Amino acid sequence: MRMMAVFEKGETLRYIGHLDLMRTVQRALRRSGLPVKYSNGFNPHIRLSFAAPLSVGVVGRRELMEVPVEDGLSAEQFQTTFNAVSPACLQVVYARCVSDEFPTLMSLVAGSRYTIRLYRSEEADRAAAAFEDFMALESYVANRRTKSGENPCDIRPFVKEGSIRKTDEGYEISLETVTFASGALKPSLWLECLCAFAGCEKPHHIIYRDAILALGAGEQLIPMEEYPHA
Amino acid sequence: MSVTIAQLLERVEKPSRYTGGEMNACVKPISEAEVSFAFCFPDTYEVAMSNLAIKILYGILNDLPWAVCERCCMPWVDMRKELLENKLPLFSLESQTPLKAFDIVGFTLQYEMSYTNILDMLHLGGVPVKAAQRSDSDPIVVAGGPCAFNPEPLHAFIDAFMIGDGEELIVELTDTIRKARKEGISRRETLRRLAKLEGVYVPELYVDAYNEDGTLKSLTPVDDTVPKVINKRIQVNMDEAYCPTCPPVPYTQVVFDRIMLEIMRGCTRGCRFCQAGMLYRPVRERSVDKLCQLACDSVRNTGYEEISLSSLSSSDYSHITELATRLTEALKDQRVSLSLPSLRVDKFVQDTLTQTQQVKKSSLTFAPEAGTQRLRDVINKGVTEENLMETLGNAFSNGWSAVKLYFMTGLPTETDEDLAGIAELAKKSAGAYYAVPKSQRVKGLRITCSASVFVPKPFTPFQWCAQDRPEEVQRKQQMVRELFRPLKSAHFNYHDSGISRIEACFAVGDRRMANVLYRAWELGCMLDGWNEYFLYEQWLKAFEDCGLSVDFYAHRVRSKDELLPWDHINAYIDKSFLWREYEKAMRAETTRDCREGCNGCGLQKVKGVCSVCG
Repeated sequence: MRMMAVFEKGETLRYIGHLDLMRTVQRALRRSGLPVKYSNGFNPHIRLSFAAPLSVGVVGRRELMEVPVEDGLSAEQFQTTFNAVSPACLQVVYARCVSDEFPTLMSLVAGSRYTIRLYRSEEADRAAAAFEDFMALESYVANRRTKSGENPCDIRPFVKEGSIRKTDEGYEISLETVTFASGALKPSLWLECLCAFAGCEKPHHIIYRDAILALGAGEQLIPMEEYPHA
Repeated sequence: MSVTIAQLLERVEKPSRYTGGEMNACVKPISEAEVSFAFCFPDTYEVAMSNLAIKILYGILNDLPWAVCERCCMPWVDMRKELLENKLPLFSLESQTPLKAFDIVGFTLQYEMSYTNILDMLHLGGVPVKAAQRSDSDPIVVAGGPCAFNPEPLHAFIDAFMIGDGEELIVELTDTIRKARKEGISRRETLRRLAKLEGVYVPELYVDAYNEDGTLKSLTPVDDTVPKVINKRIQVNMDEAYCPTCPPVPYTQVVFDRIMLEIMRGCTRGCRFCQAGMLYRPVRERSVDKLCQLACDSVRNTGYEEISLSSLSSSDYSHITELATRLTEALKDQRVSLSLPSLRVDKFVQDTLTQTQQVKKSSLTFAPEAGTQRLRDVINKGVTEENLMETLGNAFSNGWSAVKLYFMTGLPTETDEDLAGIAELAKKSAGAYYAVPKSQRVKGLRITCSASVFVPKPFTPFQWCAQDRPEEVQRKQQMVRELFRPLKSAHFNYHDSGISRIEACFAVGDRRMANVLYRAWELGCMLDGWNEYFLYEQWLKAFEDCGLSVDFYAHRVRSKDELLPWDHINAYIDKSFLWREYEKAMRAETTRDCREGCNGCGLQKVKGVCSVCG
């Protein structure tokens, strides 16, 4: 049996990278004393995996992890016990038991939903003004920074939907992106492109990932935690 | 628009150095505490969070219902620049409170080359750098740790020093300041009260005078109410001492990212260059029962996957085998691995560990310190070549293939023959590897020899000795380097001679070194422990500007009768014992480990403290 857990990666944790987060959750699991399963071999470690790594700097509101556990452990028990030994910025908000036949979370990833908050400033106004025109483009080639240098890539196909609204603090952009076999779009790169298109500097902002999406029945993108059991 | 800390975090490398919020970090509201303590570590977060003292004292203070302790570390260059440019004060990790808003700002002194960081952190935190410029509304600035045993170079910046084990003293000091604040007592009077605590040294209550030759003439209290001598504090019973089983667990990897189980304090070996070996006397062990309990508590509270045994010489712990066996057993289910001291890679430990597959074949470390037996006798390092080769042979036939050997160059009486011995030892280590049948050894032999430069330290038999001049240091380093050239699997690394030189000046320096420190900081020196930021030329200029000479401090042999700048600090080690040891060193005579019999270092005069001499 595996435990699928939706957790929040709060503001304090947004600068923690993928591997550090992995270690942090493993340590929380060890503190919890929950009956999780370890790998075999020389340096046994808890067999934990995340659905999709979150870029450094982004707050995760509904991130997903999975870990094999002993049969009989309930989702409620997992959530309560984990939260008691985990800091406030790393709490499980929903847990669900899934069978070993359930696909791995990683294999289910089809997209992500983000909120980008632009704090009020001249730059934010200019970026916001260019938003509709930017979304109307059929393609936009950006330089994706990869380990092997800069790599030109059309980012437009990654963006499924987007909208913007004015708020008390500035603007709020909602963005739904799709993930391809070749990879996913970093929301910070998208914002960089918007600003380059608008001809402004990046405004002070914060990015949230609101959901990791899976492909539900009828090709609909749904939050992964709602993916039906086989 | 004013810039916030949150915005600065977006601009710096490794923002997680500044965000805190770790598991087990203190969450007590600072406004509700009667007294607030900013525990400052004068180096980066990664180094700070690897230190045992901060874990102990942070835990002790936050267990007090009336106190709050928060942490603060030296910001990296990028953050420092942002703070200055945006006029934001250096803040604590927990509540982002500026240093100047704390009642007490405390520094731990682990390394002389972090002193400029202390000045810098005070400045960044909005606290007047010089003690004399602080007013009643400023924090009281305190410091403790091994370097506090020669407090003089920092006397102008620190209001009160804590000498010796801090477990009890830090509570007494914090309580005294709490009461003084409540009563609205002036800073001057508060410091007077602190000076009455055993183990506290308040430098402004002492006056220094010098002889014509520049040596110290006297350091006298301003009046009779001030103690002439400051006795170090000793935590006598380690089983009763606080052990940090619930320390903050960093999110990012730090230098020592594991549970550090302090199995004992002190060391009985009496290596003559080693300051810790003298300062932390007497040796005090925790019991195996207690340690097993502490280890389990630590794992439960932190979730760490690894425990290392911490002490000056863990292989000397009386029940090391029993401890290793019981800990391995107790931690098996949680897959927590145990790192053991290198010297105990003997048959028994091997068996215990292979059974549970918990041993990581990482690199082994040994510290022969000197290349020849003669020089090892001079420094009283009780390691023989035979010992070393036997242990290495064991290790190589048990799956290890990488070994690190630590040496010092410039030790008193050292000759070129001793230096050549370093390369010889590397050669013989390789021999020990090739002596193991090919089928039984792991491929990829790597022998790394690192040599630091000898720095004379207070309270050691070598406190009277001079450091080699930089030209000589470099000649020796080059010579050894040449000898390593033909060795295929061995590498030789060495320390910067400039840094070691300045380190020596602070280690054995007097009050006048405070001027050099301040001037160097004004000239931009900070993060000196990080090679790329060490500004040697600026340090030399600071000496020149202050009319002081590096030679006087670092390269001068002191006479037996000279008044040393730390003579008013009582570490319970007799100066006459140290001199005896110095003379024996010059004759290359060894002194036995004090477990084999008391050598009369001075501690025998304090009743019931030393378990070895009774």
